Amino acid sequence: MEIDRRDFLQIAASLGLLGAVGGTNLFAGEAGKERIKKLSFSNVVDFEAKGKATILHICDMHAHIKPLYWREPSTLISAKNLVGTPGFICGEAFQKHYNIQPGTLDAYFDTHNDFSELAKKFGKMGGIAHMKPIIDHVKKERGAKNVLLLDSGDTWQGTAVALKTAGEAIVDAQNYLGVDVMVGHWEFTYGKERVHELIGKLDGEFISQNVIDNDPFSDDFEELIFPPYSIKEIGGAKIGIIGQSFPFTSTANPKKFTEGWSFGLRHESLQEYVNMLRKEKKVDCIVVLSHDGFSVDQELAKKVTGVDFILSGHTHDPSPDPIIVNDTVILISGSHGKYVGRLDIDIKNKKVVDYNFKLMPVASNLIPADKAGVDLVEKWYKPYNKELNEVLGTTKGLLYKRDTFYSTFDSLIGMAIEDEMKSDINFNPGYRWGTTVLPGGDILKDNVYEMTAITYPEVYTFDLKGEVIFNLMEDIADNVFNANPLLQQGGDMSRVTGASYSITISAPSGKRISDFMIGGKPIDMKKTYRVSSWGGNLQNVGENLDEKIIRPVYEVVSDYIRKNKVVDISMESNVKVLDMDCGCPVKGAKC
Amino acid sequence: MERRNFIKSMCAASVVAAIATPSSLLAKDAAKGKNVLTYDAAVAAITGGKAATQSDKIKLTVPEIAENGAVVPVKVNVESPMTDADHVKAIHVLSTKNGNARCADVMLTPMNAKGYFATRIKLAGTQDVVALVELSDGSFLTTAKSVKVTIGGCG
Repeated sequence: MEIDRRDFLQIAASLGLLGAVGGTNLFAGEAGKERIKKLSFSNVVDFEAKGKATILHICDMHAHIKPLYWREPSTLISAKNLVGTPGFICGEAFQKHYNIQPGTLDAYFDTHNDFSELAKKFGKMGGIAHMKPIIDHVKKERGAKNVLLLDSGDTWQGTAVALKTAGEAIVDAQNYLGVDVMVGHWEFTYGKERVHELIGKLDGEFISQNVIDNDPFSDDFEELIFPPYSIKEIGGAKIGIIGQSFPFTSTANPKKFTEGWSFGLRHESLQEYVNMLRKEKKVDCIVVLSHDGFSVDQELAKKVTGVDFILSGHTHDPSPDPIIVNDTVILISGSHGKYVGRLDIDIKNKKVVDYNFKLMPVASNLIPADKAGVDLVEKWYKPYNKELNEVLGTTKGLLYKRDTFYSTFDSLIGMAIEDEMKSDINFNPGYRWGTTVLPGGDILKDNVYEMTAITYPEVYTFDLKGEVIFNLMEDIADNVFNANPLLQQGGDMSRVTGASYSITISAPSGKRISDFMIGGKPIDMKKTYRVSSWGGNLQNVGENLDEKIIRPVYEVVSDYIRKNKVVDISMESNVKVLDMDCGCPVKGAKC
Repeated sequence: MERRNFIKSMCAASVVAAIATPSSLLAKDAAKGKNVLTYDAAVAAITGGKAATQSDKIKLTVPEIAENGAVVPVKVNVESPMTDADHVKAIHVLSTKNGNARCADVMLTPMNAKGYFATRIKLAGTQDVVALVELSDGSFLTTAKSVKVTIGGCG
């Protein structure tokens, strides 16, 4: 990236540097360029330290060991009671809530606004080689023995290199970063055996109090699968860390991967561990390392007492400020390796008396890459570079994931499936991980994998009755828009291609969807439609599955882009929200 | 592993009458055949029309979201001294919307030592699971919790 003087000033202003160093002449000339580089990094890591213990937090990296572009949502719709609350804010509403100025580095990292333009200025985000200098800096400042690195999971899955090495490349990256403790969700989609193998390769610990044996005939019936907690001493204090893996793994992902394991929120046993760690193990501070989701953890904090901090994950929210519920402080550190969260804890007389938190943006252009990290990435990519660097085509507009109902990259995937499978309607999963390709950019095979790299990538084509399709949509809508966060599963709506509909978010369960059209005609409840779907469970309820045309979704999409060379995807959604006026509503459902 | 052994012994000694209900995630009209018993009729058959008191003496443990609607784990734990004079006589597990609402009945005596029962039931869709408990004095206690049954599919 070419940074001219004007950009320097803007970067400096965005980081609040001008006041700190006073006067703009500092940034003139070559010497100024060097200075801003140093200042930029120091400002990324600038922090008001508290106490003696520090926890660094990462979540939902989705195997992005290389820097990437990742655009936050431009539509984030929720049940009415949750509109405008952290976990359900985006865009300008987000900027207003957290007092972020447009056009700044924070605005680029945290919101969708002016994304393509700011991407040119600030460059890619994340990457282990850029995360490591932040971690090293904090360890140097605080003393390595006083710092923990906790990982809320969704780390092993999400890129080609993760899929092709069955997670091993990512565990290597975690060891390089120095992950001390982790929990999981997509980790489980490598299957039980592989999960145990990878944990064997991990230098840190994998903990979960909410995964238990589910086989009544096994000797370990109702026994824990993983250690439920870990106790660490940092800064002279005893920290009890309790693990919460994703409670709804067995409904969100195929059951075959975790047959015999049972998941769940299990807040009652969580409470027992909290009490036990306090009374018997005499810990000074309780941390729940969680993959429950940001809004679920806000509910959890109402049900469980005695937890000092919940380090959340799953819903991919960057939350610059902590949420406090009944004396429990809840933090979440974004996704895709975009941030390293720093939590300093001051403990006196066996009690947390003060803390400070900051999301440190992993701005790859402001943080010089660590050589060992670059080498590690190169080592794991090398065998696959030829395949992954193939330019399949280019895109006219912005290709992005996220958003509640529709995104351009999902639309491209849907069009590719429609083109090959010739079905009436296609379903794409509403995952919140993926990638972003800038307007005019090349689409690499690697990018397609970033959107689809799962261990069950098959596109299935089968029959479903209109009535079943409609009920499915209502069922999925209830998982996304339920007023009770405990009954949400933390994803976005499944994307449909070949169809359109309207939705009333605040309508009761089963009555939200209207005006459902397939192929431009109102849905016929009695008619049988041909349906294609990947990444979900829909094929299990379908009939006449065509075994002959099953193919991995990344091959279907790659072929389509190769064939078309240039793709031009509409930014217009095929879903109309009837009771909200904009994509990023503020409290009270106003825009 | 006291708890595990206890659960195992409970399984061995159980007098479970789990009534199979044909269930499907999507079938709204499950079980219109012979095996039909509405929730109200099932409660009336158990209580003989006596009122059941809502009680937090019953601890009903069910998942918020069923991992599998065909095997939903249910645990009922009733606070009781389990003496001859004061004990849990029966624990009934019901569902509000299954074709046959009566899922399991278990009879207890003071010899059971605990007013505890665990089983798995089928649920034909999102609904309440109800524990209905008969005490030795002939009175009834009840509590309910909602369980969501969904095809899922997010991440």
